[in-house]
Amino acid sequence: MTLTASTRRRSGGSGLLMAAPALLLFGLFGLVPLVGVVALSLARWDGLGSIGWAGLANWGDTLTDGATWQALGLTVKVMAVSWLVQTPIALALGVFQAPRGRVRALFAVLFFLPLLLSAVAIGLTWQALLDPSFGIGATPGLHWLAQPLLGSPDLALYTVIFVIAWQFVPFHALLYQAGIRQIPTALYEAAALDGAGPVARFLHITLPQLKYTMVTSSTLMLVGSLTYFDLIFVLSGGTGGPGTATRVLPLAMYITGFQAHDMGRASAVATLLVVFGLGLSMLMTRLSGFTRMDSQQEGM
Amino acid sequence: MRRIPVDGNPGKLAGPRIRRVLASGVVLTAAITLAACGTSGPSGSAGNSSSKSLTMWALNDQTILKDSVDAYNKDHPDAKITLRLFANDDYKQKLRVAFGANQAPDIFFSWGGGALNDYVKAGKVDALTESGAGTGRFTPSVMQSATFDGKVYGVPANGLAPVVLYYNKKVLADAGVEPPKTYDDLLAAVKKLKAKDVVPISLAANSKWPTLMYLEYLLDREGGAQVFTDIAAGDAEKWKDPAVTEANQRLQELAKAGAFGDNASSVSYDQGASTALLYTGKAGMELMGTWEYANIAKAAPDFLKDGDLGYTAFPSIPGGAGDANSIVGNPSNFLSLNSATKNKSAALSYFKDYVLDDSQVDSYLAAGSVPPVKGLESKLAAVESFTDKDWLTFVYDLVQNAPGFQLSWDQALPSDQADPLLTNTDKSFLGQLAPADFGTNMSKAGS
Amino acid sequence: MSTAVTRARRALTGATTLLWAAIVVVPVYWLVVTSLRTRADFTADSPLAPPGHPTLDNYRTVLDGDFTTYLLNSVLVTVATVALTVLFALMAAFAIVRGAGSRLSRVSFRLYLLGLAIPLQAVIIPVYLLIIRMRLYDSLLAIVLPSAAFALPITVMILVSFLRDVPRSLFEAMIVDGAGDWRMLLSLAAPLARPALMTVAVYDGLQVWNGFLFPLILTQSGDKAVLPLALTLYRGQFGIDVPATMAAVVLSTLPMFALFVLARRQLVAGLTAGFSK
Repeated sequence: MTLTASTRRRSGGSGLLMAAPALLLFGLFGLVPLVGVVALSLARWDGLGSIGWAGLANWGDTLTDGATWQALGLTVKVMAVSWLVQTPIALALGVFQAPRGRVRALFAVLFFLPLLLSAVAIGLTWQALLDPSFGIGATPGLHWLAQPLLGSPDLALYTVIFVIAWQFVPFHALLYQAGIRQIPTALYEAAALDGAGPVARFLHITLPQLKYTMVTSSTLMLVGSLTYFDLIFVLSGGTGGPGTATRVLPLAMYITGFQAHDMGRASAVATLLVVFGLGLSMLMTRLSGFTRMDSQQEGM
Repeated sequence: MRRIPVDGNPGKLAGPRIRRVLASGVVLTAAITLAACGTSGPSGSAGNSSSKSLTMWALNDQTILKDSVDAYNKDHPDAKITLRLFANDDYKQKLRVAFGANQAPDIFFSWGGGALNDYVKAGKVDALTESGAGTGRFTPSVMQSATFDGKVYGVPANGLAPVVLYYNKKVLADAGVEPPKTYDDLLAAVKKLKAKDVVPISLAANSKWPTLMYLEYLLDREGGAQVFTDIAAGDAEKWKDPAVTEANQRLQELAKAGAFGDNASSVSYDQGASTALLYTGKAGMELMGTWEYANIAKAAPDFLKDGDLGYTAFPSIPGGAGDANSIVGNPSNFLSLNSATKNKSAALSYFKDYVLDDSQVDSYLAAGSVPPVKGLESKLAAVESFTDKDWLTFVYDLVQNAPGFQLSWDQALPSDQADPLLTNTDKSFLGQLAPADFGTNMSKAGS
Repeated sequence: MSTAVTRARRALTGATTLLWAAIVVVPVYWLVVTSLRTRADFTADSPLAPPGHPTLDNYRTVLDGDFTTYLLNSVLVTVATVALTVLFALMAAFAIVRGAGSRLSRVSFRLYLLGLAIPLQAVIIPVYLLIIRMRLYDSLLAIVLPSAAFALPITVMILVSFLRDVPRSLFEAMIVDGAGDWRMLLSLAAPLARPALMTVAVYDGLQVWNGFLFPLILTQSGDKAVLPLALTLYRGQFGIDVPATMAAVVLSTLPMFALFVLARRQLVAGLTAGFSK
């Protein structure tokens, strides 16, 4: 008893020392700003002068502004459509890539390319590529692409979602590929003995076995879609345009804060983003048992 | 409690502790090195107190301005000006952030108007005088944009930049179109050009500010200069003036008539496609600032040499309250003095003796740009290239004969209204707003 | 019967694969050929045709500028961030695993779990304010510190799940030898965790290398710009010069491409770090 107690204190001492640098750094730039953003949402600050008290004025403005709700709606739309587009493609590519072979390996290399490019590089390339006058639409036979894909309020958001998929599908395909490779072949052999056809095997073995991969991939997609800032920023020239057709929540926050210089209101928008992000993560964790690590931790 | 008790000998910790200290030392050194990298550069007055040098920010198309800095640096090898050039779209924001962080340059470039006044009101800019900076040599109507409460806060450092209507002579001739003199001419020209399968007017609507030029001119022609002058003075209710609605109606009328083609909303100015459409003959006309002349000269010199580029003033609106001779655009750009600078006298001597001096004026004229300096007639007469001479005389006369020179709205208004202005302009162009809603939205944003 | 279905499924995944391969390859191909075109050819040539007058001038234009400065900044920022993150995270993960059950371990684990869910964009304003107040604005350190802080949660999580699999008996043996926590960290946990450390280093490195928001908001000078930020500067700088901008994009990607060629396995592992476990 005394032994254990003293042990714990001692190891707690060096444990604290070891944990401290990471905690300090993360605390300073991760947790303090988390509180700070809520505090700033109650303040008036134009980024130039001093910071003053604003009470709930920013919140009143933000919550009664239709633009906020439009941005929130766009964010949810990007999230949902991205998931619907990326999941089947990533799953199909993962299924294709999983067996080993030279051709498949070559494709795997090709699919990897977008992962090497920064969001900015991707944005600049696609913006120039989709230029209706001098981009890909000028190719004979591809004139049907000479449309204002990024300029029409009806098309821009879907174009953005497509480019997002271009960037992220390879990543999720890799996840699925790894997931499929981990399924024990014995399962398939047993099913084949039972006379199960390939569709039955896909439905009753592959999919259930991929459940955990699917949850992981979906969580990353959904939570990650809150952060599609870089790409949309570049594709829309920093405006979230045309009009406000691609102005998702992070972009609305950026424009309010760093272009219109209303840091208080931008912080209110940012707080919404925090609440939304944390809520979504918590929901996904609940649904998926992603806390597995956590509960194991507590069980020890 | 499956853990085995740990041996309590503190001596055993000595080795790792030393390594730990070493490790943290390495990190610390790295941190200090990086931080030093951060302040050793020419990052502004805050980091530069010891040296006599100056920092200056401008836009990256300001190559002639760069020559004046080079000339200054040649004469002052011990106290040079470090010039940093920025892209148009990011610049204003960077400057604002830099002032907020007290790391702004000693000398900065601006468009005058509301954005400059923001800094003046925050006490960040020093007033300039005739004796200190030689402010008397410049065109008075231009200096209005940098004058607040009777004090001057900048010296002009760029050519006059009214917005004019460029056209491709060949394309217009092919379609049997004369350069439009009135708004109705313009509409008729649009129809004829469209029938010829070219984009009637090239517009980089993706950048939003080129679209704003239409509203500026249309309001000026329709309702006269006073409407926006009142708005810029802080009367947001004036946004609800019927002329504002009419200007939006006409913009939407042009868009619906197909004046800007199907793809304008995808074209961003910084990618140069709107310019390229004009000189490659895929578009008939383009409304743009005078800087476009130099852009075309650089990108398509043969197009200029062959005399295919035409230019004219914005069409009039018969029956409108405005004067067909008045112009909008950027009277000039200005260089202003950061009030926190440690080297005021050096900066002032640069303003007085190097900015728009005789050789600078010649360079601007040679580049097809008219500087806002008094008494240029003799210099204009001496220009050798016919193409350039016609152009320079056109711009000079345009400005001389203009009863008013309206600073572009996004520059004239305080910066917190710039985004609502551009967004509402874009929405009006896209037909997402009823013409009357533009004024309603803007009066809300401005109050 | 079943072979027909198999064929149908193969056809479906095969078709998706081919289509997606085209979608991936065409833009990359266009990017490269455009960077080799002259400006005149860019407005005249068919976009997907090989360049009429192939030229390396665009690359010369980019390299004559400040490209090497941007490259060096990116390398400095990435190396410093990765070093800081991996070092701190290893210590933290070790403390969490060794101190299992203690309050410190539980609380810090939960904090990092929370950290996983904080969208970086959402806290950029307070981070900006902090950096200004710390007088770090417009320095490379202003990118390094927040980037490291936001890389910590995932890095710690991955290392925790790895260290937890280290057989307890190994630690116990060292304890019997009289080793303290620090020695166990350095001579047991660190070497054992090497593959995991490589993985997280690659993962963090790629994130920082391609990061845009922190550089955008926390730096401003051209001599502090990292590559992704510099690319947006190029767009304005080269104005109408699309081929030069594309050459800059290609050049900015070359280091990652080299890494890909040299260490594909680690890169793949790094990207799917821990997620596919």
